[in-house]
Amino acid sequence: MERPVAVVFTGTRRELGFMLLRGYVLLIPSIGLYRFWLTTWKRRFYWANTEIDGDPLEYTGNAIQLLLGFLMALAVFVPLYGLFFYLSTQSSEAAIIGYSAVAVLVWFLMGYAIYRARDFRLSRTLWRGIRCDQGGNAWNYAVRRFFWSLLVLATAGLAYPFMAANLWSYRYRHSWYGDRQFGFVGSWKLLARPFYGTYLAMAVIGAVGLGIGSAMGGLPVSGVPTVGGAVVMVIAAALMGLLVLYYQSREISRMFSAVRLGQAALTVTVRARSLVGQYVLFGLALAGSYVVLAAGGLIVLGSVASGAFAGGGFDPQVFRQSLQGSFSVLLAIVFGYLLLLGAFSLMVELFLGLGFWKLVAQGASIAGLDSLRDVKARGEDTRLGGEGLADALNVGAY
Amino acid sequence: MSGSIAARFHDGLVAQVHAVALMHEAGTLVIRAGDGAELGRWATADLFAVHGRKDELRLGANGQPTGARVVVKGREDVARVLATLPVLGQKRRQQTGREIRIAVTATVALAAVIVAYLYGVPLLAGRITGLVPPEWERNLGETVARQMEASLGDDSGFEVCDSNPDSLANRAIARFGAAALEGSGSPFELDIRVVKSEIPNAFALPGGQVFFFSALLEQAETQDEFAGVLAHEVGHVAYRHGMEQLISTAGTGALIGFILGDMTGISVAAGLGATIIDARFSRDAERQADAFAAHVAERMDFNPAGLADLINRVGADDEFARALALLSTHPLTDDRKAALDPLSQQRPTGLEPPFTTAEWNAIRSMCGMPDPKTKSK
Repeated sequence: MERPVAVVFTGTRRELGFMLLRGYVLLIPSIGLYRFWLTTWKRRFYWANTEIDGDPLEYTGNAIQLLLGFLMALAVFVPLYGLFFYLSTQSSEAAIIGYSAVAVLVWFLMGYAIYRARDFRLSRTLWRGIRCDQGGNAWNYAVRRFFWSLLVLATAGLAYPFMAANLWSYRYRHSWYGDRQFGFVGSWKLLARPFYGTYLAMAVIGAVGLGIGSAMGGLPVSGVPTVGGAVVMVIAAALMGLLVLYYQSREISRMFSAVRLGQAALTVTVRARSLVGQYVLFGLALAGSYVVLAAGGLIVLGSVASGAFAGGGFDPQVFRQSLQGSFSVLLAIVFGYLLLLGAFSLMVELFLGLGFWKLVAQGASIAGLDSLRDVKARGEDTRLGGEGLADALNVGAY
Repeated sequence: MSGSIAARFHDGLVAQVHAVALMHEAGTLVIRAGDGAELGRWATADLFAVHGRKDELRLGANGQPTGARVVVKGREDVARVLATLPVLGQKRRQQTGREIRIAVTATVALAAVIVAYLYGVPLLAGRITGLVPPEWERNLGETVARQMEASLGDDSGFEVCDSNPDSLANRAIARFGAAALEGSGSPFELDIRVVKSEIPNAFALPGGQVFFFSALLEQAETQDEFAGVLAHEVGHVAYRHGMEQLISTAGTGALIGFILGDMTGISVAAGLGATIIDARFSRDAERQADAFAAHVAERMDFNPAGLADLINRVGADDEFARALALLSTHPLTDDRKAALDPLSQQRPTGLEPPFTTAEWNAIRSMCGMPDPKTKSK
C-alpha cells in the first residue's frame, strides 16, 4: 500500500488578519449585514488553503445564501421571541416554567441547526471537481442529540463517551464524497480511557482544591477570601482547564482517525500541548492588543481633554467638564466598545479559529487516497437555502 | 496566449487529476492532456473564475459539469491567462457589482426599518397597548410590584406609611389622583400608596399602582412639588406608559438581535444598543407625563414646575449626567423645568388648591415625621 498523504495548510495568519480587519470595517456602514460576506470570505480562505495531495478544497457557497438562510431563521425566531415576551409579563412561577420550556426547545433546535449547518458546508465543498454532501435527517439528529444529552445530564456526565461516539458515527455515516459514502469505525471504547481518566482526575483535583482552598479561607461565608485559599482554588481550576484540553485533543485525534471513505482512511494527531499552546498564544495576543488599545485610548483622551492632564496629574473635575457634549461622549463610548469587541473577535479568529484548523489539518494524513480516483459526481443538492437556524442560534465556528 | 500553459484539470465527473496544457484558439480554451488528447473545449464566453487562494486561478465554465475546473498556478501564468481572457475580469466585476448592489439594497432596507422603528414605535407601541386587555395589565402590575418588593423591601415587602385607607391623608391623595385621572378615559382605578423607603423615588406600575417613597415626601417643601410629582405619575398610568415601554423594549431587543445576527440576544452589544434606543423612548414618555401634570394643573391650583424643583433637590444634574444624557431614561431636569415653566404661567386663576392645609399637614406627617414645619435636612 502507498504511503499516507499528509494534508497541507498554506494560509497565513497575516492574510486572514487583513481580510478580517477589512470585514470589520465594512460591518459598520452595512449595519452588520456584511457579516454574511465576511463568513463567506473566511470559509473561502480556510477551504482554499487546505490542500490534499496537491489539490485544495473549494468552498462554493456565497453570501446571498447565508442572508436568505438568516431570513428564514427569523421566521422561527420571531414567534419564539414573542412567546418570550408574553412569558416575561406573567407571574414569576409561570415565567420560570415558560422560560425553562423555551430553553429546552432552543437546546433541541440547536441539534437541528448544527446538522443543517454541516449539511450546508459539506454540500458546498468541492475537491477534485467532486462535491461532498450529507444525507440523514436533521430532525433525527436533533432527537438523538437531545435525548443523549438528557442521559449525560442524568448520569452526571458518565454517558458522554457513548453520546459522542453515537453522534460522530451518525454524522459520518451520512456524509458523502461524490457517490462514495463515508464510514466511521470508532466506538465509545476509543474514548473510554481518556474520558474516565480525565473525569476521575478532575473530580479528585476539584475536590482537593475546593477542600484545601476553603480550609484556607478561600470561600468564606462572608468577608474577604484569603489570598492563600484563592490561589489554591485558581491553581485547581487551571489544572482542570488543562485536563479538559488534554481530553479534547484525545477525542479529536481518536474520532477523526476513525473516519473512513471507502478504502481511504484518515489519521489525525493533535497533541494536548499544541492545544494548550494555542490558548497561551491567544491569551498573550489578547492582552497585547488590549494594552495597545488602552494606550491609544489614553492618547485620544489626552488630546480631547488635555486640560485634565495638565501638570502631570489628573483632574477629574476638569476631565468631566471636557465631556460636556453628550453626543461626542456617546460616540466615543460606542467606538471604544466596538474596538474592544473587534480586537477580541479578531484574536479569537486568528489564534483559536485558525490555530485549531491548522492543528487538525497539519496533523492529518490520508492513507489509500488512490482508491478515490474512481469516485463519481452525484446529482446536485442545492435545495438548502442557507444554514437556516444555525445563523440565528450562533452555533458552529468556521 | 502565445504557447501553452500548464494546468491541472478536473472534469467534474470523476475525482481524477489531469496534468494538461491550455491553448487559446479562436474564442475557445482548449484543454489537452500530456499525450495530446483533447479533454475539453470551453468557449471563452462561458468561462468564469471562482475564488481560490493567492496566485492560483480556478476556472469553471457554464454548460460544463458544475465541478469541472481548470487550475492555473503561479503568478506569471495566472497573469498571462488573465491578460489573454479579459472576459474573466469582466465577469468578476459583474459578479462583484451584483453582490454590492444586493448588500447596499439590504443595508438601505435595514436602515429604513431602523428609522421607521425609531419614529414609529411610540405610535405603534401605543396602538398595541390599546389592544392589551386592562385585566392582563393589572395582573402584570401586581407581578411587577411583588418582584419590586422582593428586590427593594425586606421580606415583608413595602411598609405602607398609613394603613388606614380612610385617614385624612389617604383620602386626600386618592381624591387628588381620581381628579387628575378624570377625563383621560383610563380603564384603571388608581391605587396610590405612600410607603417607607430611604430611596427618594416615585413610580407608576402597569395597571394603575403608584408608589410614592417616604424619602421623596420628606424632601417635598410645598404642595406644588408633591402634587406635581403625583400628577406626573398619574400621567404615566393614564398613558399606560409601563405597558408601552415593555412592548417597545421587546421590539428593540428583536431589532438589535436582527442587526447583530444574534436572535438569542445575549451579547453585550445588544444590551448597549437597546439601552440607547429604549432610553430615548423613555425620555419621550417622561416629557408626556410632565405635560399631563401641567394639564392637571389647569384644573387645580398647583405649580407643575414644582416637580422639577423636587427632582432637582433630590439629585441635580451633574456634569456626568449631562455627558451621558443620551443614555439616561429621564430628560435633564433643567430641560424639564424649562419646558414646564411656560406651561405653569398660562394657568387660569381662581382655582382650588389640591389639598387643604390640614390635609397637606396630614400627608407630610403620615410617614411619622415629627413636625411638618421643620425641615428634616
